[in-house]
Amino acid sequence: MTTVLETDGLTKRFGELTAVDDVTLSIGDEGVTSIIGPNGAGKTTFYNLLTGVLEPTVGTIHLREEGELVEITDAPPHEVARRGLSRSYQITNVFEGLTVRENLQVARISHDGRTMDLRSRAASDEAINEEVDRLLELMGLTEMADRPCDALSHGEKRSVEIALALAIEPTVFLLDEPTAGMNATEAREIVSLVKQLDEELAATFVVTEHNMDVVRDVSDRIVVLADGAVLADGDPEAVLTDERVTEAYLGSEAA
Amino acid sequence: MSTHDGITDRVGAFGREAVSNGWTTERFAVLGLIGLVLLAFGPTFQVYLFTEFMIIALFALAFNLLYGYTGLLSFGHAMFYAGGSYGMAIVLRDASPYVAEVVGSGIAPLVTFVLGALAGVSLVLLIAVPVGWLSVRLEEIYFALITLAFGMLVFSVIIQNPGGLTRGTDGVIVTLGITEVAGMEFRLGERRTYYFLTAAIVLPSIYAIWRVVNSPFGTVCKAIRESPDRAAALGVDVTYHRWMTFVVSAAFVGVAGVLIAGLANVASPYHAHWTTSAIPVVATVIGGATFFAGPIVGAFVFLYVRWGISRFPALEAHWEFFFGLMLIGTVLYFKQGAAGGLLMLRGWLGDVRAAYDRGGTDAALDYAKESTSERLGRGDRSAEEEGGDRE
Repeated sequence: MTTVLETDGLTKRFGELTAVDDVTLSIGDEGVTSIIGPNGAGKTTFYNLLTGVLEPTVGTIHLREEGELVEITDAPPHEVARRGLSRSYQITNVFEGLTVRENLQVARISHDGRTMDLRSRAASDEAINEEVDRLLELMGLTEMADRPCDALSHGEKRSVEIALALAIEPTVFLLDEPTAGMNATEAREIVSLVKQLDEELAATFVVTEHNMDVVRDVSDRIVVLADGAVLADGDPEAVLTDERVTEAYLGSEAA
Repeated sequence: MSTHDGITDRVGAFGREAVSNGWTTERFAVLGLIGLVLLAFGPTFQVYLFTEFMIIALFALAFNLLYGYTGLLSFGHAMFYAGGSYGMAIVLRDASPYVAEVVGSGIAPLVTFVLGALAGVSLVLLIAVPVGWLSVRLEEIYFALITLAFGMLVFSVIIQNPGGLTRGTDGVIVTLGITEVAGMEFRLGERRTYYFLTAAIVLPSIYAIWRVVNSPFGTVCKAIRESPDRAAALGVDVTYHRWMTFVVSAAFVGVAGVLIAGLANVASPYHAHWTTSAIPVVATVIGGATFFAGPIVGAFVFLYVRWGISRFPALEAHWEFFFGLMLIGTVLYFKQGAAGGLLMLRGWLGDVRAAYDRGGTDAALDYAKESTSERLGRGDRSAEEEGGDRE
């Protein structure tokens, strides 16, 4: 196993509150890692630290880039993305007013470093659209390619969102609550999609999730956060039967 | 259909035939160009008005690169309009004798005009690069306010008449002079000549902006408008991209500024005033920010409605009042502006036409009445919905 993402003593304080508390994690390229925890455990803050949206109070983050671990602790979001860390959002975040195709074109333009290209035409550029077509096919979006995203269903937007994140060819793909707002069938589809993508693509998948059925199905490793700190880490069976974990969840439900 | 021998039938048939015979965009463009040439033989005032329309259209279109396409409402674009205008006027005033010495007095006015235009656009870039760098760090109302502040800063510098360059409130008089080429004389400032000159600069500029909008650069602009954080998470440096868009937008506004100096024969501090910054905003809102041609349509409505009102001396002094009413109407009922309205009208006319084909004039009138009252009613209802629950 090769480490692709590593945090060391990662801590984020907002005034008195410690949202992420001394998290030292090393995520490898084998299988899907889930990061779970009760509400307010610090999952979203942890993601925002990894992606450069927030700056950590203490600690470092390293990402594998061209065979070496590179520090990305203080890099802004766009630089983190360029180095190979991609994400999806809990509340679907796509370019609503643009068509599905245009959405993916943006990602490819960014990946190819052509954001300052004033001369070519995005709609007919071969290098951009060849890859866009492949992604549309992969995510089953070909038929709705020319529809604006605000005319899509929630599930379809999720697919666009995943396609967007994949389009920049990430080393690590962070999915934030991929099944939020979905019914059981749709959630199962997402699980099989993530497992399939994890096998087919070079990217390493990291998932935060509320739905325990999804967590059980999708994970090869589970990290439990509680009050910002790592409570348990390891094999799904072992972690989910861990007393401290059940207690943390029950505790949060009781409160 | 042949039973109703109305003019609409004939126009409709002509249009269908044109399309079926392969009357492509190119052919309509050729028609437009012929119209443009024919207009030059109209009354001098109409030529002047259309020249002004082309300039304002370019101004608004360049402004909308930042507003409609990138999502940043600048309230200080007059500073670039004035930048182009003053750069041009000062070069014409101060450099003419030297240019005449170098290239000979015959083509000197033309060469000076070109140099003035380059100076105007360079001056605009000189302002836009630092002002943009600072402004794009802010968003929404803060961006509007900081650009307004920079705009008024430029205005007050111009009023101060630094080093005798800008002549304070008088502005700098522009004299385009008489160009002599191969024994033929022509005055660049003559209305028709200037009309063609303006068209020769504005049309390629519009095409250039269209290419920008459709380029990878422009696609990224639209993405930033929709969701800046999403764009950043895909590796787009949002601040840098906004900055570059600001500079491109400013440069095209500078071109419009260069042209207005020649048309108005003066670079006036009014060109830098915040009320001038409002012109592209108003034109874009009226025309529709979400359509490429929206600002062009808006500029047309803006200038020709003003002209129409000015035909009635009793109303002329209050033209802004009527304009205000129109703006309110646009915002309330045509959120997508006149360009959106035109598309809607086309659809509506099609529906009326269908009703007419079904049951003659009566059916068409009934449909028109019904749909109009429905549309007005819908405007009321959506206002109520936004006001709160009424269930």
